[in-house]
Amino acid sequence: MTQASAAAVPKEPPATSDLVDVRLVLWHFTAGMVFLAVAILAGFLFSLQFIQRYPVAGIELFSPGRWRMVHTNGVAYGFLANVFLGALYWAVPRLTLRPVYSRRLSWFIFFAWQAVVLATAVGLVLGHAQALEWGETPVYVDPVALLGLMLVAVNFLAPIFQTSGPMYVSLWYFIAAFIWTVLVYAMGNFLPQYFVGGAAAGAIGGLFIHDLVGLFVTPLGWGLMYYFVPIILKKPMWSHGLSLVGFWGLAFFYPLTGIHHFLYSPIPLFLQHGAVITTIAIEFVVTTVIINFFGTLAGRGDTLRTNLPIRWFYTGMVFYFVTCLQCSFQTTLTFQKIIHFTDWVVGHAHLVMLGVFGFWLLGIILYLWPRLVGSNAWYSDVLNSWHYWLTMLGTLIMFLDLLVAGLIQGYLWRDLSPWEDSLRASMPFWLVRTFSGVMITVGQFMFFWNCYKSWRLGAPAGAPRREPSRGSMAPATA
Amino acid sequence: MIVRSESRLKRIVLWFIAIGILAPACYGFTEKLILFILAVRRDQIAGFTIIPIANYLIVTAGMFCLLIWAAKHGMFRNVEQPKYDMLRREAELDRREGRPWSEEP
Repeated sequence: MTQASAAAVPKEPPATSDLVDVRLVLWHFTAGMVFLAVAILAGFLFSLQFIQRYPVAGIELFSPGRWRMVHTNGVAYGFLANVFLGALYWAVPRLTLRPVYSRRLSWFIFFAWQAVVLATAVGLVLGHAQALEWGETPVYVDPVALLGLMLVAVNFLAPIFQTSGPMYVSLWYFIAAFIWTVLVYAMGNFLPQYFVGGAAAGAIGGLFIHDLVGLFVTPLGWGLMYYFVPIILKKPMWSHGLSLVGFWGLAFFYPLTGIHHFLYSPIPLFLQHGAVITTIAIEFVVTTVIINFFGTLAGRGDTLRTNLPIRWFYTGMVFYFVTCLQCSFQTTLTFQKIIHFTDWVVGHAHLVMLGVFGFWLLGIILYLWPRLVGSNAWYSDVLNSWHYWLTMLGTLIMFLDLLVAGLIQGYLWRDLSPWEDSLRASMPFWLVRTFSGVMITVGQFMFFWNCYKSWRLGAPAGAPRREPSRGSMAPATA
Repeated sequence: MIVRSESRLKRIVLWFIAIGILAPACYGFTEKLILFILAVRRDQIAGFTIIPIANYLIVTAGMFCLLIWAAKHGMFRNVEQPKYDMLRREAELDRREGRPWSEEP
């Protein structure tokens, strides 16, 4: 170790209890799982509409379109945001050896964020959605949500900016995410609503949709992977320099990709081409990140079998590579002729949000939960295994199913076949989609039950911990 | 416990990716941006597209400033060291929590 870096790190670090508010992490995870339960049930309900089995048809409050928005917003702001926050309350203080700016502020943010998500869900069901995809949060919720995101940035940036010396790559990702998320949310929710209209608003809507994935979810997700993978594998990243190439590549290419949502639109072709080029460039950047993580796994490949969080993480990484590769093809004008407005895009979105970021966050919960509840093991490793296989296979089936459905729909539309033909052709695929949704839903409820039972098993602080059962996959071992 | 020697291969991969991929991508993007600005100045396209471009430039200009600041403050010197420091801190935190580290995951 160099002398400079040794000076930057105190010889005796503080105790974890001085750094991390474990209850806050636990409650963010719990809230995230509650919203995930609501969101997947809403998604399942919506899928029944496609197979003409919608059980509450004709009731305005159960309008399928509204429950679709509850599904997407519940996943983005209820599940992903909550679990990200919980994981950040664990990772940032341990990376910086400093607590967040204020514990009181942290709890205020927790309750305020739950109020924001609840108000959004109620507003959506009542029909108060804002006309912006992924930004349907009612206009009266937007200022509060933006204020909440600013407070989150202050709370986490304070300890990060107090560190000295070269920063670990996770902190770079976190800094960028906190700043970008505020900017993206303000841009997407306020500019089209109050300041610009027409094609310009459309372009901003495209930027918002993609920047929400690329500048909020992606940097937080990768930042957390760069933290959790090495500490579980007990070995450093293959190349820290390469990880920084990935970060700066993301920083400069991602912000312009969003316009690829509006190819063949009145937006000038210069911008559309720029979006296509940056999207393809992102795939190269992603390749560097994937090389780095698989280089790190080299020599520890057996952990994919023995360590369930690592399996979740690397499954998500494979899906991430697939989805970005898919993205670099599907954003070309040639592909867009066929797949635009089809179920291909829906399959892609599910692979990104659930198959990648959802998997990473489920892996993080799996790793941390027994530590948070004071236990040393899960109530049932079998349930955890079922959770993984049902969710992974369900997601894969849904993705492939919608991929094929999208191609069939696209070619039928291109050939100017009657609309009813594409509906009839889609029906078997929509049935399979609902079936795969059931697999995912059952898997999640198994996990929720396992979390609840493990919580009940958890010993109070200081009490002896339960030992892992024989043959355990030891998902919580550290 | 942690091997710190960086292989020559790793450095070659790093520089190849940094120069061989990022540089052409940056060139292509810059060229498109210049074309766009020229087209706006000649009134070939409507000025409304300035708004998304301005959004992009605001975000990336901030990141560019951060990149310059990071370089000036030595964030890229001894670029591999943070990954060892991070792991050592984590081991120490776990040890204080009564969770000693072994070499195996």
